[in-house]
Amino acid sequence: MSDFKGRNIRPLRLASQLLGVAFVLSLLIGIPTFGTFPVLRNIFLPNASCRYINSAPTSCYYYQVQDGLVQGSSGFYLDLLILLLAVVIAIVLLGRFWCSWLCPFGAVQELLSWVRGLLRIPPLRLKWAHRVLLRRVKYTLLFLTVIISLPIGISALGISQCQSTLALPFCQVCPAKGFFTVSQQVLGLEPWGTTLPILAIVSLLLFLVSSFFLRNAYCRICPMGGLMALFGRVSLPYLRKDPDKCTKCRVCLRVCPMDHDRVYDEMERMDVAGEDCTLCGRCVELCPEEGCLSLTYGPYDLVSSRRPRKRWWSLPLNKTRENGK
Amino acid sequence: MNGATKDTDRKRPRYISDRKGFFSAEQAERTRKRSREMEKKVRTRLSSAKGRAKALAYFDELMRYDGVRAVELKEFREKGGKVVGTLCVMVPLELIEASGAKHIRLCSGYYEPVHPANELLGDAGLCPLVKSTLGSKMVSSDPLVDMADMVAGPATCDGKMKLAEMLEDWVPVVMMNLPRVKLGGTSSELWLNEVLHLKRKLSELTGRKVTKKALVERIRKWNEASELWNKVCDLRKGKDPPISGQDAMLVVQASQSDDIDRWVVKVRELLKELEEKVRSGGSVAEKGSARILLMGSPMIYPNFKIPSIVEESGGSIVTDELCTGFRLMADPVLLDDLSEKEIYSALADRYYFPCSCPCFSPNDERLTRLFNAITTFGVDGVVFHSLRGCHLNNLEATKIELALRERGIPMVKLESEYDEGDVEQVRTRVEAFVEMLKARRKK
Repeated sequence: MSDFKGRNIRPLRLASQLLGVAFVLSLLIGIPTFGTFPVLRNIFLPNASCRYINSAPTSCYYYQVQDGLVQGSSGFYLDLLILLLAVVIAIVLLGRFWCSWLCPFGAVQELLSWVRGLLRIPPLRLKWAHRVLLRRVKYTLLFLTVIISLPIGISALGISQCQSTLALPFCQVCPAKGFFTVSQQVLGLEPWGTTLPILAIVSLLLFLVSSFFLRNAYCRICPMGGLMALFGRVSLPYLRKDPDKCTKCRVCLRVCPMDHDRVYDEMERMDVAGEDCTLCGRCVELCPEEGCLSLTYGPYDLVSSRRPRKRWWSLPLNKTRENGK
Repeated sequence: MNGATKDTDRKRPRYISDRKGFFSAEQAERTRKRSREMEKKVRTRLSSAKGRAKALAYFDELMRYDGVRAVELKEFREKGGKVVGTLCVMVPLELIEASGAKHIRLCSGYYEPVHPANELLGDAGLCPLVKSTLGSKMVSSDPLVDMADMVAGPATCDGKMKLAEMLEDWVPVVMMNLPRVKLGGTSSELWLNEVLHLKRKLSELTGRKVTKKALVERIRKWNEASELWNKVCDLRKGKDPPISGQDAMLVVQASQSDDIDRWVVKVRELLKELEEKVRSGGSVAEKGSARILLMGSPMIYPNFKIPSIVEESGGSIVTDELCTGFRLMADPVLLDDLSEKEIYSALADRYYFPCSCPCFSPNDERLTRLFNAITTFGVDGVVFHSLRGCHLNNLEATKIELALRERGIPMVKLESEYDEGDVEQVRTRVEAFVEMLKARRKK
């Protein structure tokens, strides 16, 4: 989009995102990623293969979290704990790289943002108070998932009959459910006539509209991201800022699709990833100061910002005068 | 604050009701003559420097009193073109160019026009830069300043703010309400609206709509210019700087009044010559000179008093933290989204947030920039210059001196006026400072 920048991370990220989408699509046609080997099948790294894909051998880890909350009461929540442990280890090792490098939700949102950019429609800029409010929504959704799933599973409470309707509370409002159920029915992979998931379809529409206008709209409220954000502070990959080199030009905050204030505000600590950074590297690409922002893994800088220069591509807008000659 | 000249004529002047009769023709002539003499002296001194790059001759010609630029602009105006004067570095020049107008920097570095302004204001404590700018408009001593059809004046310091108000007696002024408290979202929004207001005023002036296409094209050009300027500055990081601090300031100040397309071509030539010079080991600084960072109040050509004293006393100015130097073009406009709203917001942010003018608070980024420059340019000592009556820089000097002391970097604070009277006094102090730096390094 911009032909004047320091680093160029976007192509690499695009390739990675396409891989992520292909991953889900391959599951859609029934090729298991980890194989159907019994042990491997039960390892649920954060992935986005939806349970509502008929042929998918594994499922999204958030489904497993909900399932574990409901089913776990008989087995001392052992499955859930193992799952959470696996998730925590994955977050420590991979951080939120998942969100903007692999997650299909992220890819679709960026596609919508890109279309919006082509149409020259400005992105919606939220006020600071609203941004902070949205940030809390993801924890609220996480909390609601637990508070709804947990009592349903405990038979002594006598509300087990809700299992058929209220188990998997988040899946009922997840846009992926709407998308996959409808698309499978349209493609004829699943028979018509099963009840239509109205809630999920509405949230799918909301997802499409909101992320068209607001950059990374869904990421701001995603409870899966919320769960990752809880452990984000201890993850090895992070966004590093050298406050000694920051000139407070505010480019990082302007280009950040998550409107992550910390990258601009923080002037003391090196780790500016915090809860909201999805490590997309947009700010690293455009930060005009040499070595001020870096995507860092543990002690190693993967990529650091550098002084912007003209890139070889340019938009047709540029085909006017050259060098004033 | 109406853009049309007719209305301003009808409006009663705030300061001088009898504009024509206030000064004698002799006084105006004297001011012009002395300004010309002063500029000639400075230019001769600059161009006679040893080992000076040949490509700099263009910038001499451009910035000289009564030089080619004034003639060019006169022709441009006769053809119906409009010229906009700017008072501070926060005015987006890309926008002025995109509207089809040309820009000149009004801030004056001539000593003589201070006197007519003094006669009117009678305030000896006021910043001489403000007085000189006002004076050159009052007696129309500077042909370049006379070219302005409109003035864009951000309300930065008190002096500049009232200067813009006073200039309204002569020329239409667009005051820009610069949020001096940098808060983030709210100040960014206010400043964006001020920039959009300037855009409307420019369209009224030139009768042309500022198109997005033209603006993006201009932003690209200025980004190219900024890239080149940064490259020139990079060459000064080495042991042998190929360009003196004064010449570098001359080059970057020329961008404020020149056509940027031509400036880019000329600076590219200059860069080629300088790179050649670095390769062959040429240097403008004498051997073992102390590496100096210059900061403080603006130093507008031809008021190169302080830098010339520093460089004549065995110091070598390797970088600066001045709104008339490095800071002027250090930052590019980084476009992320090409919708109209986002382009203007990127433009407004570029001229607001990275600016470390002392009129802002908080202004910690000035210290960050300073320390960053000290490490990357290998600076031995800092010369802090403040014009008489520049309270903001005076106040910040203390903060900066204390912060520098913590890091063991010596700083000297100089105060100067717009006249030659204090040259020797300043020279003694600077010489002692430079000697001290050299002795420190030997240890």
